[in-house]
Amino acid sequence: MKHSDQLHADASRLPMLLFIAWRNIWRSPVRSILTIGALAGGLVMVILYAAMMEGMIRQMVHQATAISIGHLQIHRQAYVDDQDLYATLPWSYLDTIAGVFPEISLAPRLYASGLASTAETSTGVLIKAVDPAREPQVTRMLQQVRQGKMDLGPADDSQDGLPRNNLVIGAQLAKNMKLQPGSELVLVTQAADGSIGNALYRVAAILKPLEPNFDRMGVLMSIAAYQQLMYLTDGFHELVIRLDDATDLGVMQAELDAELKKLVSEQPLDELGGTPVVRNWRQLTPMVADMLEISKTITFFVGFIVIALASMGMLNTMLMAVHERTHEFGILLAIGMKRRWLLLMVLLESFFLGLVSALTGVLLGIGVIGLFGERGIDFSGMLPDGYDWGGIVFEPYMKLHLEPLDLLLACLLMLVITLLASLLPAWRTVRLRPAEVMR
Amino acid sequence: MTTIDNDSAGKTAMALLTLQGVDKIYRQGELEVRALQEIDLTVQEGEFAALVGPSGSGKTTLLNIIGGLDAPSHGSIQLNGTSITTLKEAELSDFRLFQLGFVFQAYNLVPVLSALENVELVMVLQGRDVRERRERAEHYLELVGLEKVMQRRPAALSGGQQQRVAVARALAAGPRLVLADEPTANLDSENATALLDIMHRLSHEEKTTFIFSTHDRRVMERAERIITLRDGKIVSDKHIGQESHEQMA
Ligand SMILES: Nc1ncnc2c1ncn2[C@@H]1O[C@H](COP(=O)(O)OP(=O)(O)O)[C@@H](O)[C@H]1O
Ligand SMILES: [Mg+2]
Repeated sequence: MKHSDQLHADASRLPMLLFIAWRNIWRSPVRSILTIGALAGGLVMVILYAAMMEGMIRQMVHQATAISIGHLQIHRQAYVDDQDLYATLPWSYLDTIAGVFPEISLAPRLYASGLASTAETSTGVLIKAVDPAREPQVTRMLQQVRQGKMDLGPADDSQDGLPRNNLVIGAQLAKNMKLQPGSELVLVTQAADGSIGNALYRVAAILKPLEPNFDRMGVLMSIAAYQQLMYLTDGFHELVIRLDDATDLGVMQAELDAELKKLVSEQPLDELGGTPVVRNWRQLTPMVADMLEISKTITFFVGFIVIALASMGMLNTMLMAVHERTHEFGILLAIGMKRRWLLLMVLLESFFLGLVSALTGVLLGIGVIGLFGERGIDFSGMLPDGYDWGGIVFEPYMKLHLEPLDLLLACLLMLVITLLASLLPAWRTVRLRPAEVMR
Repeated sequence: MTTIDNDSAGKTAMALLTLQGVDKIYRQGELEVRALQEIDLTVQEGEFAALVGPSGSGKTTLLNIIGGLDAPSHGSIQLNGTSITTLKEAELSDFRLFQLGFVFQAYNLVPVLSALENVELVMVLQGRDVRERRERAEHYLELVGLEKVMQRRPAALSGGQQQRVAVARALAAGPRLVLADEPTANLDSENATALLDIMHRLSHEEKTTFIFSTHDRRVMERAERIITLRDGKIVSDKHIGQESHEQMA
């Protein structure tokens, strides 16, 4: 009973406390504005940082899934373990999976290593073969042309009248071998039957940096051309899968896994290649997945530290304010103000400072991000071409992406920290002894 | 909320304020300062009493103890039937809020509030409703002659005006006793005597008891009773216009 009366009494005094606290902020306008400026500036940094991280993550995920990795991939265990050339899945598997899961898009791929030569130079390459019809349904790899025109079909014959196929190569490889669209290239490999396979190719296009290995050593050709070169026709190494809705990735992964088990029992595989495994993009790019996990935590800590530093100004301001008002607080205590109301008044003043700073910071943050716009921050002058992190290539534009939840979190963080910083100044009022203050 | 009954029984029979054997000893490490010694004092309802004495004689200490801002080392204080030395801090705070008014030497007011809001403030603390406190605040500001400057903040008021706002604030709360520690110390003599005249008049009109300290002779002259302190002791206690009775220590 007494307690609820007290709460009621406190509540009825609240408007006055709010009123005085608000006005107190503007007592030293310059000091308050500097304090708010520091806090809002800190918040802008945090918002910008969070938007950069979020933008980067989205770009990386996009890069990872949309451009080359897809959502899920199926390989045989021996291929996963040591890129065993013979660890292929039979073509019938592709047809069966396509029949069972009509809603997903599938693209088979094959790989090999070889030696690429021109008249001047030769170098080791990684051959990647895709199905020019299926690949575009799954990834945008074939759209990533920097120079030339995408073409994986047969090319015109060479000057000596030899047949040629078109292929597409990585940007760094093109630079190292001084290749241009239209240049000629010889590939030499050890084919599946143990013979030396070699053929003549025409460089149709040069790709943008996709992933560092491909960029340096990658040669992209059609599966038909690969089969001619490698005599490997009974299956494929990799099946890339794209889902329309990636949210139930786990479910799809499990269903595929079950279907593959069934397939293995119906259409047994050879012993050496091992069982088929389905992995999602997080498993395929563990660095990116780890980074996604920790980046939120890092952003939070960076935010915490930046705001905590900025709130030192606030701590100082409130300590000064409380110190300056020692006499005034003494008078208020003498005339019958409750200590807890005085304490609340100081906390409210800090809260208002934090709130004004938060609002200012959010508006400025949104404004700054708006300034950079859709394109993001241009780093093209600062980053080397095809700069990668964890095997994922960055575009030289850092897109900023503002999550409303991040914004809310940043504001809450700011209010909590400023309130923490005001505990010490507020506590000072508790020790005030009016008799000493009044002298 | 603990409110204290203003109309406690037996007020005619009992004095408003009774101090018995009040000592105040300040300890500063090894050193002991006896700021008040063996103070016995009785103040009746409606008195207008001055506490005089040289600097360091214990005027502030005595007023603080009467006002419950400081505790005596020994002795008892009865104020309006309450033994204030037995009250806890929260009870003392309420006691001051409802029974006492304070006017200090200077900077009595909250700088970010207007004169009117400053007077209202104490009534907000008392929990009075909006209309009542607005009416009372305006009324008391009129009584101290500040109806024209009610909306001004303290910085826009003269020192004399600020002290009058403080008097209005003290009275608007409806206290039994107003304690004023050197309320005129920062005023020129013209403003000082004007403030005293206002306090004196309101003491009669409002039937409110005043105890104020001063060392200004012209201010003293307005008092109906002069209590003189020296070295923490009451060395004389004169009722002006009556036969004076001195108590030598
Ligand atoms: N907090 C304190 N600590 C120690 N001594 C004090 C304290 N407050 C007052 N005194 C001493 O008590 C005596 C009375 O002081 P005070 O009541 O302020 O006198 P007045 O108001 O008459 O000038 C003085 O000697 C003063 O130095
Ligand atoms: Mg004094």
